[in-house]
Amino acid sequence: MILNSIRAEWFKVARRPSMWITVALLLAVSIGLEYVLVYVVATHPPRGAAAARLGNALTNARIDLYPASLIKKTLANMSGLYGIFALIIGVLVQGSEYAWGTVKTSHLQLPGRITIAFGSLVSLAVLGLLMAIGLFAIDGAAAYAVALFDNVSVSWPSATDLIKGVAAAWLILYFFELLGFTLATVLKGSAVAIGVGLAYVLVIENLVFTLLDNLGDTFTRIHELFPIANAGYLQQAFGAVRAAEAAGPPPVDANHAVTAIAVWVIGLAVIACGVLRVRDIT
Amino acid sequence: MAQAASNLVETRALTKQYGAAVLAVQNLNLTIHEGDVYGLLGPNGAGKTTALRMLTGLIRPTSGTAIVAGGPPGSHQSLARVGAMIETPAFWPYLSGRDNLRLLARYCRLPDSRVPPVLTEVGMTEHASRAFGTYSTGMKQRLGVAAALLKDPALLILDEPTNGLDPQGMVEFRNLIRDLGRGSRTVLLSSHLLNEVEQICTRIGVIRQGTLVAEGTIDEIRGGSHLVVRATPFDEAKRILEQAVGADKITVQDGTFSLSVDTSQAAAIARDLVTGGVELTELRPGERSLEDVFIELTGTESGS
Repeated sequence: MILNSIRAEWFKVARRPSMWITVALLLAVSIGLEYVLVYVVATHPPRGAAAARLGNALTNARIDLYPASLIKKTLANMSGLYGIFALIIGVLVQGSEYAWGTVKTSHLQLPGRITIAFGSLVSLAVLGLLMAIGLFAIDGAAAYAVALFDNVSVSWPSATDLIKGVAAAWLILYFFELLGFTLATVLKGSAVAIGVGLAYVLVIENLVFTLLDNLGDTFTRIHELFPIANAGYLQQAFGAVRAAEAAGPPPVDANHAVTAIAVWVIGLAVIACGVLRVRDIT
Repeated sequence: MAQAASNLVETRALTKQYGAAVLAVQNLNLTIHEGDVYGLLGPNGAGKTTALRMLTGLIRPTSGTAIVAGGPPGSHQSLARVGAMIETPAFWPYLSGRDNLRLLARYCRLPDSRVPPVLTEVGMTEHASRAFGTYSTGMKQRLGVAAALLKDPALLILDEPTNGLDPQGMVEFRNLIRDLGRGSRTVLLSSHLLNEVEQICTRIGVIRQGTLVAEGTIDEIRGGSHLVVRATPFDEAKRILEQAVGADKITVQDGTFSLSVDTSQAAAIARDLVTGGVELTELRPGERSLEDVFIELTGTESGS
């Protein structure tokens, strides 16, 4: 039954144009903002006072574009911009089911409610993995092109580090997908779920802990349990890009960050499945 | 709960309450036999859809029990033998009609080869490649029935299946449902349209404000036939009729007698009246229409 549910859920996801449009947009934003735009600015630096103000920033940004920085460059936006794309995908997968009324259509078939939810979670995991691999692939291609343009030697990160980087990207993206999926489940729709998700990711966690962290170590320790913070720590565990080196090392190590995000992933999955299991389908 | 071998649906005191104020279904005792084309009849808001949602496991009853097609509602055992279309058919709009059914077939572990026969059965083969989002209401309804038929179910549950259809579409759809109900398949149909139920169903249940107020064959629901008599002089005719059938079986309205007796007594009653010197001007079997009964039971008029 579980396998049938996974096949059915993937059938829906794989044939849905908006999924692939979102993924394509993510890849386009990644290459456009992170490579093309940065390279254009770095190769056409401002003059005069603006140049003095920027200092070495443009030189550092240009060096970050080379293949040696691929992992930290690709991970740099994972808990922000890329995560928001993943959040939207998670919302779309579940929120649209409520908008179309297809929740009841699915649940009138054979598998149980949890089995169907499990199929969705597996589909999201696969999609998240494809997004992570896609991001590394397209960023890698862009980094290689930049190195060729600048006529510098091409030095890639080790295969092991690349695999770890893809795994970290997948875990962060999957967390965001599940955040969207769970919000859409609880709120029974897309619009409010995206709004609440964006508010949390962009404002709430940062704003609350920016204030609370000033009150003492206790709040700092609590902050280290929250998902957006840990997604950031996990990124930083691979090293900061030159442009952000001043931020310093993360307060927790990668194991802590991975464990914390995994707990959040499991927690969100349990909440979504629990709500689906007990709530009437009206 | 013990279930008689011939009952495909049996509910006992099934109740659904939303919050403290809304009692959507109250103590519903429903019995549907194998092979029935059963009509759940009631005005809008009577609790029909809530009852069907409970029978398919979409919502859980507040109290009471039900066995549907051999298992509790929503259980694997039950869903394996039940095909349902509840309210408006809902599908994935970016998928074609065919792909929507292929998707549902994957849920049910059915081969894709099951899809073409059901498309043919509902007359949707030529539209199967179009995206569901482009379908007319009638096509959506047909695809909904096709989806319900995918599992070749022993019990087919259709909730207001002709809602939104034009008159021609309604006629076609009724014929389709009638065909589907032939043979051993059991059909449970909800509707607020009397003529629809009268044309399609073999048994009906009438629901009002969440309570089942009548259940039986259409003849049983109508309360059987009676005799209509007009005769003069009125008083003498009344005296003779009271002697013949008993005063408790006679009602009078606008100078016409209505006798709650078997129509086979018509000849004897005619003879009594004529030999008693009464001029008999009308003697015929009378039947209450389903609409009369419906209005009497629910206090509302149907949409038909």
